[in-house]
Amino acid sequence: MPTFAPVSTDRGRHAPDPCYHCGLPNPRGGRWQATIAGARRTFCCGGCQAIAQGIDAAGLVAYYEQRTASAARIDSSDALGNECAPWDDAAAQARVVRRDADGRHEISLLLEGVQCSACAWLIEAWLERAPGVLRVGVNYATRRATLAWDPEATSLSRLLRAVRQIGYAAHPYDPARRDALARAESRSLLLRTAIAVLAMMQVMMFALPAYVSIDGVEPVHRRLLEWASLTLTLPVLLYCAAPFFRGAWRDASIARAGMDVPIVLGLVAAFAGSAWSTLTGMGAVYYDSITMFIALLLVARYVEFAARRRAGDAVEAIARSRPAVAERLPGWPTMAEGVHVTASSLCAGDTVRVRPGGVVPADGIVLDGRASVDEALLTGEPRPRPRSAGDEVLAGTVARDGALVLRVTAAGDATRLASIERLVERASADRPHAARIADRIAHRFVTVLLIVALVTAFAWAVIDGTRMLPVLFAVLAVSCPCALSLATPAALAAATGALSRRQVVVTRADALETLSRVSHVVFDKTGTLTRGHMRLLRTKVIGPHDEAHAIALASALERDSEHPIARAFREVIGDRALPVVDNVRIAPGEGVEGTFEGTRTRLGRLAFVQAIAPHALEIEDAATQTQVVLGDERDGLLAVFSVGDEARPGAHALVRALHAMNITTVLLSGDRQQAAQAMAETLGIAHARGDMLPGQKRAAIAQWQATGAVIAMVGDGINDAPALAQANVSLSLASATPLAQWTADVVVLCGDIERVGSAIRHARRTMRLVRQNLAWAFAYNVLAIPAAAFGYVTPLVAAIGMSISSIVVVANAARAARLPPWRHARDDEAIIAPGAQPGEWQAA
Amino acid sequence: MEILILLIPLSVVLAFLIGAGFVWSVKSGQFDDLEGPAHRILTDDDGIHHD
Repeated sequence: MPTFAPVSTDRGRHAPDPCYHCGLPNPRGGRWQATIAGARRTFCCGGCQAIAQGIDAAGLVAYYEQRTASAARIDSSDALGNECAPWDDAAAQARVVRRDADGRHEISLLLEGVQCSACAWLIEAWLERAPGVLRVGVNYATRRATLAWDPEATSLSRLLRAVRQIGYAAHPYDPARRDALARAESRSLLLRTAIAVLAMMQVMMFALPAYVSIDGVEPVHRRLLEWASLTLTLPVLLYCAAPFFRGAWRDASIARAGMDVPIVLGLVAAFAGSAWSTLTGMGAVYYDSITMFIALLLVARYVEFAARRRAGDAVEAIARSRPAVAERLPGWPTMAEGVHVTASSLCAGDTVRVRPGGVVPADGIVLDGRASVDEALLTGEPRPRPRSAGDEVLAGTVARDGALVLRVTAAGDATRLASIERLVERASADRPHAARIADRIAHRFVTVLLIVALVTAFAWAVIDGTRMLPVLFAVLAVSCPCALSLATPAALAAATGALSRRQVVVTRADALETLSRVSHVVFDKTGTLTRGHMRLLRTKVIGPHDEAHAIALASALERDSEHPIARAFREVIGDRALPVVDNVRIAPGEGVEGTFEGTRTRLGRLAFVQAIAPHALEIEDAATQTQVVLGDERDGLLAVFSVGDEARPGAHALVRALHAMNITTVLLSGDRQQAAQAMAETLGIAHARGDMLPGQKRAAIAQWQATGAVIAMVGDGINDAPALAQANVSLSLASATPLAQWTADVVVLCGDIERVGSAIRHARRTMRLVRQNLAWAFAYNVLAIPAAAFGYVTPLVAAIGMSISSIVVVANAARAARLPPWRHARDDEAIIAPGAQPGEWQAA
Repeated sequence: MEILILLIPLSVVLAFLIGAGFVWSVKSGQFDDLEGPAHRILTDDDGIHHD
């Protein structure tokens, strides 16, 4: 385990220059020196010196100019990274390394020692130069890196050691570690908040006599109360307010005016003034204002943290649903004895057992057993589905009422569950545009505020010196930039979390903001508005048999065919027994012929069937459907089947909802113009264009954009890629798309297309909340700051006012986590042909 | 009112003790899951293990 010594052991009485690399004091004598970027630098140890020389030699000294924090000091005892070696062992890698088809290896690394964005840049640039590295991406926000390398050219241990060389540590990513980090953060914030609140109450108690007594508190008691307050305020200031000090220091050291700067200035001024009064026994004290200010600020941060965490919980819920342990059956099928192993150590091809009520540990195919499987978390489908031999089950789903034996097809990071996790993580990693703008405004706001505070302090020093300190504190405390810096990201995070709980995954941070401005929604037809495969839509029985018999007979004739129409029949019939049909012959482009109970039977185009079954029939060919006829020599025509690609349930409602939001709907299809037109008419879509090539779709979207339209494209991500990229925001339905193609900004995990509309509605609502917050912040600050500057606000009222304003905006932002109740997805897989429920049909 | 000379420092000591108690309770994980224990009382551990 690498350890970072937080404090150098040789912190001497006399320390001339801090270490150029890590910023810790140098030992006397300047034993370690090197020329970095043309200047002589001194280092605290050989480790830092070697790191800086390495960075210099690689031409990456820009790091030292861009960094905003000193590097973490790495323990030089393991500078060689001997502990990296075990990671070359195939068994150790098995759990964390993903291998793709071209033999490339990819891993997620958790980085230790990343202090600022320059560190992220440095690691990225450094690793890119290492031989054998194919791709590297460092995420500053999550402190994680994704690294792809060629196992022929380099080894994992060599790359881990390379990270070591520049003073960071990289650990193959293990979800348990992230959990531990999140828990530590939550605990520390809770502790700070609670201690500050506790101290606030006690200090208030001590301050009360001064407020309520009529003839003043006795001097002895007053001094005692002041000293007691000081004793309680000190830990609050030093421990509870530490995050504000750290934030202010970070901002100040890069000459940026962050929102923590006025807070810290106010706190320091008020505490210094009060402490001076206590020591000298003269003047006013503001301990109650200080503790209350810190306590309420922390409460606001805690609310914000909770909102963010709840957003993360949606992801965690998915992660948690992956069980840690699996029961592997090494001897299957000869022996049924199971061995308990960790779920992450499973490999494709393993056989595992899932007991009743158990969670499926990996994606796989059922070999044996039968159970209703609850897939609500992954697909949003509330009803458990029956699964038996040959069916696919996904990791994270629950076998409700039976045991299953599965062959693993994908385990660990290769499962669908893990892909969803990664998608959500990608979104939470980058900072949305709206939040960045809010940040920039907040910086300007704080700069102006500091100037106002300075002018006020000068003015009051001239008017009335004794009031300078309370007024200064009031001005610094009363202003509230949180609506900008805290509430906007909180609202966006809360909305993202709420949507992902409803199986709508926002994969890019800006997507919500763009969605709220959408003026046109462009649909692809096949696979998006429709399911993308042929289904039996309607069955019209003509002859003496019932519908079930007709479908079974048609299915039997099509038994060996791979034609889409054959699949439509098979879908309805499932694995029920088929009537026996002999002499099956396929007439290409016409249909199929076979013998059933000695009678020649045909299925196909009308003319083809009429050739053996003379029977007059008029069928009209609708643009979106194909009519297939069944008939035999004896009874003539038996049934007419309508087979087609039907619109998804909910598409209708979606189009209506979009129109209600004043959004123009457009259908761009690669299919025939006629088919596109028919589909658009059925659904009420305003404009439809068929015969579009992918490039033409893109051009059409660009044309609308030129007129100021904001386009959301809903497509399947494969042949729509250019159009999806051109659109301002892209959405896709996961059920229509292989996992690897999930490149859209917003992915709807279940087949319910209506959620596209809900996502847009929720995005609009979220941005409305953000605007409300900004309006509130503007009104509040415009009133409060001048009032404080003119001395109308006492420090206590200022502390309360600011804190309440923070809590108001943060709580308002947290409302974005609540969604209006959604109509639940209709059963996506319902048998389509109304009434076509072939019972337990047996060959007569 | 001489008793205040004793009581005020005592209240400070008490506040620190309460603070220390809270630090201990957080560190020992009592606040990590605020919902689980409420539900756990409803689950019946007997009779789940058929096998």
